[in-house]
Amino acid sequence: MEVKHKIWNSVGGRSFVILLLSGVLLIGSFFQAAASPGFQSSDEGKDIFEKNCVSCHSIGEGSLVGPDLEGVLDRRDRDWVRDFITIPDQIIVSGDPIALELLTEFNNIPMPNLGLTEAEVEALLVFLEGGESVAPVADAPLPEGNLDRGSAFFTGEDVLENGGTPCIACHTVGSVGPFGGGNLGPDLTRVYGRFGEAGLTGVIKDIAFPTMQGIYVDKALTDQEIADLLTFFATVDAEGEEGVADSATTTFWIIGLLGSGILFGIMAFYWPRQRETLSDRLRRDAGITSRRHS
Amino acid sequence: MDVRTHMSMIFHLDKCIGCHTCSVACKNLWTDRKGAEYMWWNNVETRPGTGFPTQWENQEHFRGGWERKKGKLDLKLHTRLEGIFKLFYNPSLPGLRDYYEPFTFDYQNLFNSPKKDVQPIAEPISMITGDPIDIETGPNWDDDLGGSNIYAKNDVNLEDLPQEVREQMNELERLVFNYLPRICNHCLNPACVAACPSGAIYKRDEDGVVLVNENDCRAWRMCVAACPYKKVYYNWNTGKSEKCILCFPRMETGQAPACAHSCVGRIRYMGVLLYDADQIPTAANVPDDELIAAHREMILDPFDPKVIAAAKENGIGDDWIESAQNSPAYKFVKEWEIALPLHPEFRTMVMMYYIPPLSPVVSVTEKSLFRLDLMQEDYDFELFDRLDAARLPIKYLANLFSAGDEGTIRTVLRKLLAVRIYMRRKTVHGKVDSVSRKTLAEAGLTEEQAIDMYKMTTLPTMEERFVFPNYHREMSIKAILDPLTHKGEVGLGYIQQPKRGE
Repeated sequence: MEVKHKIWNSVGGRSFVILLLSGVLLIGSFFQAAASPGFQSSDEGKDIFEKNCVSCHSIGEGSLVGPDLEGVLDRRDRDWVRDFITIPDQIIVSGDPIALELLTEFNNIPMPNLGLTEAEVEALLVFLEGGESVAPVADAPLPEGNLDRGSAFFTGEDVLENGGTPCIACHTVGSVGPFGGGNLGPDLTRVYGRFGEAGLTGVIKDIAFPTMQGIYVDKALTDQEIADLLTFFATVDAEGEEGVADSATTTFWIIGLLGSGILFGIMAFYWPRQRETLSDRLRRDAGITSRRHS
Repeated sequence: MDVRTHMSMIFHLDKCIGCHTCSVACKNLWTDRKGAEYMWWNNVETRPGTGFPTQWENQEHFRGGWERKKGKLDLKLHTRLEGIFKLFYNPSLPGLRDYYEPFTFDYQNLFNSPKKDVQPIAEPISMITGDPIDIETGPNWDDDLGGSNIYAKNDVNLEDLPQEVREQMNELERLVFNYLPRICNHCLNPACVAACPSGAIYKRDEDGVVLVNENDCRAWRMCVAACPYKKVYYNWNTGKSEKCILCFPRMETGQAPACAHSCVGRIRYMGVLLYDADQIPTAANVPDDELIAAHREMILDPFDPKVIAAAKENGIGDDWIESAQNSPAYKFVKEWEIALPLHPEFRTMVMMYYIPPLSPVVSVTEKSLFRLDLMQEDYDFELFDRLDAARLPIKYLANLFSAGDEGTIRTVLRKLLAVRIYMRRKTVHGKVDSVSRKTLAEAGLTEEQAIDMYKMTTLPTMEERFVFPNYHREMSIKAILDPLTHKGEVGLGYIQQPKRGE
């Protein structure tokens, strides 16, 4: 079946269609470009705040893990606040005096880099300017925690209900396991003391650390699991010793190097004593020695 | 009776000219890849010789195939328990030096060499390391008795021949060789399948092709060691084992496998054989001298109404049964009984068959000098009655094709000779005399059979040599999935569907 497009078949018509289409696309792209940065509402900022900040900060309800953010924009320069929300880790490292002071004030718990985009930070600032007060998350109280279960969740002996990765994959704590835990994340021995119960609950519930966010995105911990882990962290904080994992790592290296040394030694002994191939044997019997394998 | 179908290949060794066209066709089609350079799914060996890999028949060294112990069949390679202990160290496994280090030549040097006082040369280069090497051996290093003092002399099949015969075979005037093309034998009792710890090898239902499932293969390489024919190869690049697939994609579209299709001497025939799967365990477990008879017994007569009924009960279609009735394989193996399995004593129940070669032109002694002479009738008859005078010792052929049973080989050779004598009388002299009829009768053949054998040997058309049934691949899809479920799909990646972002 052939469909005749009358406009398309004439040269003039064709140029007209192409010009029209390009025009539509061009105008559309202007609108698209113009649409991006505008329209920031304090609603959007509120959403971001409740999702990312509320586990550590309140507005007008007092300090938690981090400072009360009421009137923060009056206290600090707007640009400084914007930079600190965007790249707090770099600012702390750069030795910024305000940042260091805050760090000391809040038990050396650094503000994590949340990986917010420029637009999201802008929306957040618009929200903070509004002066609306936000109470800290008032959740139902956690159930009673169990130390053994908490320990089992940490080490992965028990599987987390929603399939989350056990903590030991990235963190070490006290003297857990013969070789300690992973060292991608920080040592969690003193984490309970640093964050406090409320802070730690908030941090586990609404994860504020970008690395962890990705891992637990659809695998949130249940309240019972959090309670168990908190009990475990509290006990470790009271009894455990920090830095045990470091010495365990050294032992691990020594055993590993010694072991591979022994294996290589055995191999060095047996390698030249491998069975001769029939092909080589036939040639050797016939008095032909290869130049490479003589 | 459990009737199954099998695609079988017949190699008529009298017609093989040793040109290696089959090997090259196969290499170009399947193994011209990284990691597969050393593989020859099809290779042609000169006999006597050590073959490829060198001395593959030496099962005391390579431990392939099956062993009969206390009336039970066991893998010669290892028991299950031994298998676990040898999982990471398997000394029976052939290494690259058992095959050869694949090489190419630095041809670019012929074009790009700077100006010199001497001609540039193309240096040999290893296809594995890329470094220049000294070529020590190759897949057919002993071709046409090259280096026979090393290779031909050490042919495993010569072992129980009397010393004077072995020495005679080394005399220049009595030198004799023939060719032995080999592919995977697609056995009924495959040792590779039995040895695989991952269960990655399987035998296809419709035509018996033995295949490696590369998704399941975990590179244990037990198959490589267990195959007595050394026809499973390990690809060092992909970390998977590979083997001859009998060109099943070609057969499914009605074409002969590349090796058979390209054969210059037209030595290869292919067709369906019906066999009784219930008989495999018993037929594989009989004393050596009964192996051939038991094997033939297992192949069923496709004209027998009982067999046809049982075949239909097993879901074998009319076209496959008809194809089995027209099969050249059935004629050679069962009707004329002149095609034999290679090394039946390995007890893998091979499904590729060989028609043993008649010796080349007889050499006669005249005034104590050797003279190569065209065969005269007298010599024909002389040889018919005195096969021991043949240049290729009967015992040698028996070691290759009948587990050392000379009687089987004699019967086959006498049939071949009788047909030759009969047809020579008929075409050269113009009439058949009583003597030639008598020879036929003595060999156990009728005149019709002789004429059929002659025709199938010398004048077969492509359609007579290769009889393929319809494969009905559309039916096998239907068996697994409703074809309508594929409607609207891309039709790509039946096994592994393409997924965005993976």
